Amino acid sequence: MAVDRLTVVGRSVPRLDAHDKVTGAARYVSDFILPGMAHAKLWRSPVPHARLLAVDGARAAAAPGVLAVCTADDLPVKRLAYGPAYKDQPILAREVVRYAGEPVVAVVADTPARADAALALIDVRYEELPAATNAEEAQAPGAPVIHTTLDRAGHFRDLDGLRPVAGTNVCQHYRYERGDLARAVAEADLVVDDVYRYPALSHHALEPHCAVARVDADGITVWSGTQHPFPVRKDLAEIFDVPLAHVQVVVPLIGGAFGGKCYTKIEPLAAALAARVRRPVRLALTLEESARTITRHSVVVRLRTAVRRDGTLLARECDVVLDTGAYADIGPRVATKAGSRAPGPYRIPCLRIDARCVYTNNVPAGAYRGYGVPQVTWASESQIDVIAERLGIDPFTLRERNLLKRGEEYVAGDTPLDGDMADGLGQAARAIGWGAPLTRNRGRGLACAMKDGGGTHAVSTAVVHINADGSVILLSGSVEVGQGARTALAQIAAETLGVPFEAVVVPAPDTSLTPYDHGTSASRSTTVMGLAVAAAAKDAREQLLALAAKLLDAPPSALTIREGKIAHGNRTLTLAEVISGHFGLVGGEVTGVGTFVPGEWSGSLGGATVFWETGMGAAEVEVDRETGEVHVRKYVSAADVGQAINPRECAAQDEGAAMQGIGPALFEARVGERGQLLNPGLIDYRVPTFADLPEALDSLLIENADGPGPFGAKGVGESGTFCAAPAIGNAVARAVGVRLTELPMTPERVWHALVSKGASP
Amino acid sequence: MLRPFELCEPASVAEASELLLRHGEAARIYAGGTELILAMKEGLIHYDYLVNVKTVPGLAGVRLDADGSLRIGAATPHRVLERDPSVSERFPAIARMEADVANVRVREVGTLGGNLCFAEPHADPGALLQVFDATVRLERKGGARTIPLERLFVGPFETCLEGDELLTEIVVPPLAPRSAAVYLKFGFLERPSVGVGVAVTLADGHVADARIAVGSVGPVPRRMRDAEARLQDRPVADSEAALAEAGRIAARASDAITDLHGSAEYKEHLVGVLLRRAFQAALAAVAGSERR
Amino acid sequence: MNAIPMSVTVNGEAHALTVPPHETLIECLRDRLGLLGVKKSCDVQVCGACTVLVDDRPVSACTVLAFEARGKHVRTIEGLAHGDDLHPVQEAFVEHGALQCGFCTPGMIMATVALLAENPSPTADEVKHYMRGNICRCTGYKRIVEAILAASERLATGPRTTDGG
Repeated sequence: MAVDRLTVVGRSVPRLDAHDKVTGAARYVSDFILPGMAHAKLWRSPVPHARLLAVDGARAAAAPGVLAVCTADDLPVKRLAYGPAYKDQPILAREVVRYAGEPVVAVVADTPARADAALALIDVRYEELPAATNAEEAQAPGAPVIHTTLDRAGHFRDLDGLRPVAGTNVCQHYRYERGDLARAVAEADLVVDDVYRYPALSHHALEPHCAVARVDADGITVWSGTQHPFPVRKDLAEIFDVPLAHVQVVVPLIGGAFGGKCYTKIEPLAAALAARVRRPVRLALTLEESARTITRHSVVVRLRTAVRRDGTLLARECDVVLDTGAYADIGPRVATKAGSRAPGPYRIPCLRIDARCVYTNNVPAGAYRGYGVPQVTWASESQIDVIAERLGIDPFTLRERNLLKRGEEYVAGDTPLDGDMADGLGQAARAIGWGAPLTRNRGRGLACAMKDGGGTHAVSTAVVHINADGSVILLSGSVEVGQGARTALAQIAAETLGVPFEAVVVPAPDTSLTPYDHGTSASRSTTVMGLAVAAAAKDAREQLLALAAKLLDAPPSALTIREGKIAHGNRTLTLAEVISGHFGLVGGEVTGVGTFVPGEWSGSLGGATVFWETGMGAAEVEVDRETGEVHVRKYVSAADVGQAINPRECAAQDEGAAMQGIGPALFEARVGERGQLLNPGLIDYRVPTFADLPEALDSLLIENADGPGPFGAKGVGESGTFCAAPAIGNAVARAVGVRLTELPMTPERVWHALVSKGASP
Repeated sequence: MLRPFELCEPASVAEASELLLRHGEAARIYAGGTELILAMKEGLIHYDYLVNVKTVPGLAGVRLDADGSLRIGAATPHRVLERDPSVSERFPAIARMEADVANVRVREVGTLGGNLCFAEPHADPGALLQVFDATVRLERKGGARTIPLERLFVGPFETCLEGDELLTEIVVPPLAPRSAAVYLKFGFLERPSVGVGVAVTLADGHVADARIAVGSVGPVPRRMRDAEARLQDRPVADSEAALAEAGRIAARASDAITDLHGSAEYKEHLVGVLLRRAFQAALAAVAGSERR
Repeated sequence: MNAIPMSVTVNGEAHALTVPPHETLIECLRDRLGLLGVKKSCDVQVCGACTVLVDDRPVSACTVLAFEARGKHVRTIEGLAHGDDLHPVQEAFVEHGALQCGFCTPGMIMATVALLAENPSPTADEVKHYMRGNICRCTGYKRIVEAILAASERLATGPRTTDGG
């Protein structure tokens, strides 16, 4: 279908959920009320590592309104542990607690206040154990080994190859090597060697984690704000030892996720408590509890890069260490991806990569928008500017010289690069005014990065129902976290079917009604689910045309569908006329099914890359030399979206992602002390506000219709987070001559750097 | 979550004082509640009785005295001070400071008296008001006293209020002619990290009076009289070196502590920077008002 | 614990309630009155997701006590539209793509209504200053500023008033 003939795709139609969201009618899990619903509150460990000796819940159990006080032993489950990589995380801690904030006892009561009040009556005796509260401590000789045995989850195929190091806290060691490193280093004109640090972050999606569970004769039903309804269903089926068909996971609107609601979180506990008290149970965390549920990995990256005088990159040695906290969650895959992406989007003949995912006694770390790329890009793109400066080459020129070109392979056997990053970086550079004169204390910086998008071995199926009145129901397991998935998928369905956008309705995912989908992550919904939706719509369209062909006595190939009407010459039929004409009543429906099955198993990443999600960023900053404060005056983000299904929402995703990059660049960080999180909530954990919006924040959408998705689309939404920190760091270096290697670039850190360089007045 | 408590709604200051006396440590004055209810929700403190003073007549409101003093009822919300024309005309530094306290919702509900009595170290009003030589009126049943604001603060979250005393009014005397006050703050968390208030009075090209107060840095906001002395009687044109010296003295005297907001060393540095910037802005404000 | 009887108008409708002193306004609005558009997020008055108007003044329903609304008019997101007719601020948020997950949106819109009632033609800087205490994790704020400025123009030229009725 020629792009210029598109009528719904490529247009900034209003979001399907916009009306409900501006009127307060939108319903999230935390708004769910079931008859007879009870409420759970959790007693959490005050210490990072301890042996549990005894729990006395008798006084709490006798408190008014309390229905149950449960420890791990009281949960009616067949298996206590779960996790997407290893089954290492207990639903409630048993025998040992491994981080401060880990749930140990659950109280269920008739009201939240009574459950909360009863927590104070619980007496837990424990014996503190030595704790490892960062990755360095956890790798030191004699460090406490936090998990002595590891049970592989066996759910995701790419995780079959995990390489834990026995007897240590390393739960995954990713290695990759090509070329002769020693020779490349010997031949190089310059070798730079630096260590960069990226702190742990809190997702702080505004809606904290919440799950409502009901267990009855029909099975287990859980309403949850999860990004992975089908994997959660599988975990629940295993935990309760019931068939998949007996577990129903329903996902209404989600109040933000950013990876923090990937995979199974509090759903098993909510379901186990509901089974225990034989009433529906609501488990709603506070924002501070959410910060004690999942984090973004803190990462230390050591990079050694060998380069020729003309700027040609010869070799890169990457040593990446991730603090994954007390339970692996998806950390092993984040480590693999962080390692594999650490060299950057360049043509580098010689690589040596080691990435270690390390257990510590911290809050578990998992997925967070970008999956390791923001952390390693902070290192690799900062160092590219260091090299440019040392060689006296313009940073844009140096990047342009080494960037992979369209069609080049990042890793032999994997999908070649499907975009033109040098062009995208050039667009961002031009938009920021690269090379134009600047006033004192101002500087500009660039960065670029890419990640394999679309998910790893990720299946998606969609169903399209065309009702007897011509209205359309699109069933898709992609969850609406705010990214606009429902709207984009409806646009793809409408365009493919030839019906008006308004004809399509997209209900909330429900694992008992909606066909299978791997999950909503990795910028995959528009591309991968989009292909399934387009296939389902095409299937339905062909059935419709076949039915209409009979009614119109013409071959299907001679018919067209536009605006919900099927035409042959001057004769037209509405979809309603076709369907009721066929079924002979005002009823019946046409159903199309489409499935995306990923390609062959190949490439060092453990899977064929669906598409490359590339991000290019350019920043202009102004530095206050006296206070060290960095003001981002302009920020430009460029995203290669192939074909924007909804340009406004694409740009909006990219802008929001850019701000989620600016926050950690300048001020966001979790502060811990001996395993205690000191800033769990928003008073002391700073997220971007209106005051941080640069004078200009622009997103450039690059559209060449060259993506593998429907209409040439590629996924977007993560790439905007990749580049902000290094682009800002590079701009600071060019503004005032100091380079920071640890994030965030707080005023104090910048000031210290200026003082030690003698550059602060 | 909030634990249950009893609400007392006295009709007068005397009655409020009586309630405090009767319930002792189990009672606390409740005004805007933006600090108190927050701390109680977090389970950091609890009181069985909250004594609501917002219903006591006469405790809220702003007026100008005949001598130009600003009289602020203790239960006046920040937002009123931010927007009151007499405040923005006669005490623009106070209006500007108030416009930057927390966020608009906290300013609508939180009161100036509540802010001062809670004595949260990371707060703005306590520092700026000291450079006006503000006083506070403390009342109890059968008595009242007026003390300089700087004496109210004893330590973090601690004031000199007696158990049955209430802060009822803040009085801010006007600055002398050819004066200006400026408050500058710095920080990147929700609460301020460093705040410096400066008031300057000029005469014959000299600094006739300089007042400096520093807040948020140490346990209590305080006047910096040794630093002020460095600027006193200096020629305006030649204040650069004295300012640097005053900044160093104020920094040392600020009792800076290291916390999530930053190191003591950095905060001391910022005291010097903000002091100089505030002083220069105050000089510019005096010059500006004379040009008009 | 003493119970406090109160009459309160919520979105134009009079209610006679009895609340315990420690009941917060958000508990009253969500749990008693079913106004689920009032969102609970940070619970410490920082994020603004629970912003409602009490006598046209924006407050954090998470920390304000319910009894404080006695004798007053509380407005929530549910009271803004007239049937199917969106308030101009709501329209602007839809048209400018000023929302994503939507969890901050009710509070964001109520704060905007308060801002425009007080300052009908704010500059972009005034918008950023007034709205600083409303946090959005999704949009990056740019489109919200644009929506607020557009709503301001619409209210200045349109037939409706800022109180939406």
